[in-house]
Amino acid sequence: MNSSKTQFAELQQTDELEQTWKEPKGFLGSLAVVGHKEIGKRYIVTAFIFLLLGGLEALLMRLQLAFPENTFLDPGRYNQIFTTHGTTMMFLFAVPVMEGMGIYLVPLMVGTRNVAFPRLNAFGYWMYLAGGLFLYAGTFFHALPDAGWFAYPPLSGPQFSPGKGVDVWAQMITFTEVSALCVAVELIVTILRMRAPGMTLNRIPMFCWSMLVQSFMIIFAMPAVMIASSVMLLNDRTIGTHFVNPAEGGDPLLYQHIFWFFGHPEVYIIFLPALGMVSSMIETFSRRHLFGYPALVLALVANGFLAFGLWVHHMFATGLPQVGEAYFTAASMMIAITSGVQIFCWLATLCTGRLRTTTALHFVFGFIFIFVLGGLTGVMVASIPFDLQAHDTYFVVAHFHYVLIGGALFPLFGGFHYWFPKFTGRLMDERLGKCSFWILFVGFNLTFFPMHFLGLGGMPRRVYTYSAGMGWELPNLLATVGALTIAVGGIVFIANVMRSRRHGEIADPNPWEGASLEWEAASPPKSYNFPRLPAVDNLWPAWDDISKRTVIEGLSDDRREILITSLNAAEPHHRHTLPKPSIWPFVTTLGLGIGLTGSVIAFSWYYVAAALGAIGFIGWFWPRRPLEFTS
Amino acid sequence: MRRCTLPFLFFLANIAFGQQSALDPAGPQAGRIRSLESLLFGISVVIFVGVIGTLAVALFRRRRGIQQEPLESTHRPSAQTERKLLVVVSSLSAVSLLILFALIVVSVVTGREISIKSLPRDSLVVEVTGNQWWWSVRYLDDNTQRIIVTANEIHIPTGRPVVIKGTSHDVIHSFWVPNLHGKRDLIPSRVNTEWIQADRPGRFRGQCAEFCGLQHAHMAFWVIAEPPAQFEAWRRQQLQPAAEPSDPVRLRGQQVFLNNACVLCHTIQGTTAAGQNGPDLTHFGSRQTIAAGTLPNTIGNLGGWITDPQTVKPGNHMPQVPLAPGDEQPLLAYLEGLK
Amino acid sequence: MTEARVLYVGHLPDQEVSNHGPLWFGQVLLCCIEGMMLCMLIAIYFYLRLGVDVWPPPGTQLPSTPVPTLALIPLLLSIVPTYIASAGAKRNSRVLMLAGLAGNLLFAAVFLGFRYLEWRSFNFTWQTDAHGTIVWSILFLHTFDLVADLVMTFVLLVIIAIGRYGPKQRTGVHVDSVVWYFLVAIWLPLYAVIYWGPHVVGAGR
Ligand code: HEA
Ligand code: HEA
Ligand code: HEC
Ligand code: CUA
Ligand SMILES: [Cu+2]
Repeated sequence: MNSSKTQFAELQQTDELEQTWKEPKGFLGSLAVVGHKEIGKRYIVTAFIFLLLGGLEALLMRLQLAFPENTFLDPGRYNQIFTTHGTTMMFLFAVPVMEGMGIYLVPLMVGTRNVAFPRLNAFGYWMYLAGGLFLYAGTFFHALPDAGWFAYPPLSGPQFSPGKGVDVWAQMITFTEVSALCVAVELIVTILRMRAPGMTLNRIPMFCWSMLVQSFMIIFAMPAVMIASSVMLLNDRTIGTHFVNPAEGGDPLLYQHIFWFFGHPEVYIIFLPALGMVSSMIETFSRRHLFGYPALVLALVANGFLAFGLWVHHMFATGLPQVGEAYFTAASMMIAITSGVQIFCWLATLCTGRLRTTTALHFVFGFIFIFVLGGLTGVMVASIPFDLQAHDTYFVVAHFHYVLIGGALFPLFGGFHYWFPKFTGRLMDERLGKCSFWILFVGFNLTFFPMHFLGLGGMPRRVYTYSAGMGWELPNLLATVGALTIAVGGIVFIANVMRSRRHGEIADPNPWEGASLEWEAASPPKSYNFPRLPAVDNLWPAWDDISKRTVIEGLSDDRREILITSLNAAEPHHRHTLPKPSIWPFVTTLGLGIGLTGSVIAFSWYYVAAALGAIGFIGWFWPRRPLEFTS
Repeated sequence: MRRCTLPFLFFLANIAFGQQSALDPAGPQAGRIRSLESLLFGISVVIFVGVIGTLAVALFRRRRGIQQEPLESTHRPSAQTERKLLVVVSSLSAVSLLILFALIVVSVVTGREISIKSLPRDSLVVEVTGNQWWWSVRYLDDNTQRIIVTANEIHIPTGRPVVIKGTSHDVIHSFWVPNLHGKRDLIPSRVNTEWIQADRPGRFRGQCAEFCGLQHAHMAFWVIAEPPAQFEAWRRQQLQPAAEPSDPVRLRGQQVFLNNACVLCHTIQGTTAAGQNGPDLTHFGSRQTIAAGTLPNTIGNLGGWITDPQTVKPGNHMPQVPLAPGDEQPLLAYLEGLK
Repeated sequence: MTEARVLYVGHLPDQEVSNHGPLWFGQVLLCCIEGMMLCMLIAIYFYLRLGVDVWPPPGTQLPSTPVPTLALIPLLLSIVPTYIASAGAKRNSRVLMLAGLAGNLLFAAVFLGFRYLEWRSFNFTWQTDAHGTIVWSILFLHTFDLVADLVMTFVLLVIIAIGRYGPKQRTGVHVDSVVWYFLVAIWLPLYAVIYWGPHVVGAGR
């Protein structure tokens, strides 16, 4: 009687919500999509494609290096390949994939219906896609960059790198950084102002904390790389400025300072979201509250601050004043504390929980093994005298693949298995999953462990070949075999995804008994995420009795209305209507893309970019009726 | 834990005694860095084993199951356990902090010891200039008559400190002889100084460590440490201008050299060849390699190099100079005779 | 089902035009980004200055200070109409918004006129040397930002003038004022560095 009536009302209401929040269909519709789940998925899928491309490039490099004096690739080709490998992995894979996870998960975790600026979000994705296509389009115009992923001048300058490759690289950075900055802005506002009522600062899930800190780091670090690449490098190349030209008072080291002022935070920008994923998975799979939540949050924040104080450790061999050196050694080593505290807290949680050894937890264990090893070699190279030997050798290559792959990719793969049922409504196959884990784990160590010895044995990085008799043959061969093994692991992983997407076991909303709000939404979530927005009163809402959940009433269902809460205590503050789908972000990107592409040829194209961009933005913000509810 | 222990040990030995290895120090700086490395390595191993051991414990405890604690309902172990964890975690963090302090102190002290400020008196000063993709070497002396210019090979006396003043002529390179010292970047418009010393005679390979373009891989050089007397002998010989060819074939070779494009780029003291774009060839015959360590210096290799430098070292800045038929052999003989 | 407790929010205000809206927050973050860019340029300025003995390099005139200093007057005054516009937006007063936005544009135009004069008087370009490079870069970036914001201001003026506006557009006016405050504020250190820097740290002449 009564209950059937309420059920009917509820159905009607979810129908209306669906009408309001559904994303447009069709080709044109797909260009206008602004939903965070759709865009998050696009980020993730695009980034994985770039991982495959970057991985393919890695395989080519490894094949070339398998034997001494190999002639599989000529030197010019090799230089292009390692440059695009590094660039793709850092700018087109690692950062965007983390952004994608954040865009998908954060609104679910904080209990709202979309990110704060949905159109900006769409714009960010288009800019990212444009940047990636722009770089790879260089393949067809003999314009691939070949000066390394940090493109030091004078080598990357007009005199020693003629051609358009480096210009393409520099402007690709502009695209991807604009995208990262958009995501950072909207995630910060989403996390700070759109949390479920009751989700005070100390009830924010760890993953959201990590995205928050990461986003702030992006805001303060990414401008530096835009200055380095598109102001200093590009203008020196195209219009004859003298930022790095010593003959006219410029300085090549200036570029290095500015680049690494970004470059060091960049590696933590990649790494922090991964830490957030690890925290989420450990909490779920050890079935206990995460030990030391305040310490973990503090460690993340401290990591964010400290990361801006150690860029010089990439420049130890340039010959700096000694006082500076002591400071930068100290700072670089101290950052080990923030990682250490997190490792200790996780170990404590794992030791006292009741583990469920899923594939995801396998990846977490793999993460701890590999990342700690890579972190320790990081502490080794933070010691200047030792770094003078290790710098620019395969020891550093080993270090950063340990921390990047171990510290970011393994958690990402784990997270992918963990949230896959949320993304698709189906579970991934555990047997295949564990199988891919072991192949990846063994292949990874086989590839990169020998590189430590190569580095100490004198092999510099970025060499396209080496002579026989240096003692480098065997480790190089092992590394190549390892890389092929990783590829096999990758194929198993892909096969698992493809299979599970269609035939995987159906997942209910909370298959792992996770604690945070995303597990209360349906799997996959409806376009509106939650039929009624939730309110929470602790850090583990999904571990409470869901039927007793406080829900929010009074938001309109016929427009995209959400609740803005106060920054600190997350008290309801006012209602806010989010914009509808729009094609303008795409159009704007198109305009900017044309202008920025032209700018590698002549500076005046910036004016084209500005004009087309302005047209795009005006179209974007032009009021449409009914006026109250547009954006 | 460590798979493939055997091969690792095998190539470890292989690498450690290779021609170019930071694991086999031959001078005070490399030695100090090697000890620092052992310390860092030892500490890292201990920490790593500790972490992995704890992980193993976590797995093991899972097998046993910890029914004693009411985890299922509250998701929280007993308050007592939490307190214990707090103590353990904070003391581990404190210990880490102490270890890091110690490492900072040791690093800074080692850094002082190997820095240019710790330079003993009576040193030899060598100016090294990086070029795409070869090294120009000048032995400085107050007496300008006694300045030696050579390339891709640095002779040093054992037991005596040698100051390296490094700079670059084009892009950034990095001077690195792992057996003697860490690396130092050679940056255009800047001069970076460091000092090295070999404690025993030997040949130590060095290689450019900063990516510098197409032939970064083939930008090596050799440091040859000899007892002081032998070094002096070498120096005396290098101070001489190039030997005048005595036999007609070599004389002919000299003419070939002087009448072709070679003079535009190469210097041979005592002749009119004074080009600056390529390595000084005054005593080329006494050097052990061709083209920055790319090939051993034999007459066959030299022939290959001169007839087709772009195949030997693709992209390098020496063009293929067309020679009249019959000119090649005399030229080679002449160059090899430049002892 | 019916056990669920309910938090009713229907009485809360809708679309506030204030410093609490997401848009305001986002705009402040964008200002942080732009501020970071300009701070990097200031850092570059001093780094380059430390690299040479004579600053600005011989042959480059010391930047004149009267015109840029005079230009500060319209710039600082432009804050008043900007404030009026944002007050108008909060109060939903079309007149105030129109007056404020127009005043903002007017003062900004005067300022840009001064900027044009001072810029024209340089006897160096970005190609002259490192000093020229960094001074031109700072001026270019800041001018670009100013013009971009003025275009936005103009568009808002048109929107308000034709009356096609609701709370979102008023929020736009409010947020636009935030950008303008930022651009005015960031100019003060930039002005000090470009025009007074050489007089203060320009040893060697
Ligand atoms: C995800 C990315 C990532 C992460 C997390 C790190 C983490 C660290 N990195 Fe790494 N680094 C890179 C990515 C990363 N790095 C990249 C890409 C490069 C090369 C760029 C290029 O040249 O192309 C690089 C290069 C690089 C250099 C320059 C080397 C050179 O070029 O000569 C240095 C030098 O100091 C360094 C140091 C460190 C340190 C001290 C940490 C620390 O944060 C590590 C801290 C972690 C631990 C130490 C382990 C856990 C801690 C404990 C178990 C506590 C107990 C430990 C102790 C008491 C020691 N890194
Ligand atoms: C997140 C970052 C990231 C990741 C994941 C990787 C992954 C890998 N990297 Fe890379 N690497 C960098 C970041 C990264 N790298 C950076 C920043 C540099 C420095 C560049 C520079 O110096 O400028 C570098 C440099 C670098 C070098 C040094 C080059 C040199 O100095 O000369 C080497 C050499 O072995 C290498 C190898 C590898 C290998 C074997 C992998 C493997 O793990 C890759 C494994 C992945 C795959 C194999 C993909 C799966 C492929 C398939 C499934 C095949 C099917 C494909 C299709 C259907 C299209 N990398
Ligand atoms: C345009 C300049 C140029 C010309 C002309 C030129 N060389 Fe060279 N040469 C170079 C450069 C540059 C190198 C260093 C190449 C490298 O190692 O990357 C070099 C290297 C060499 C070397 C090896 C030196 C060493 O110590 O490794 C020899 C020998 C040599 N040249 C001989 C000749 C002869 C003989 C000719 C004429 C037939 C000639 N060169 C013409 C520029 C030139
Ligand atoms: Cu010179 Cu690398
Ligand atoms: Cu770093």
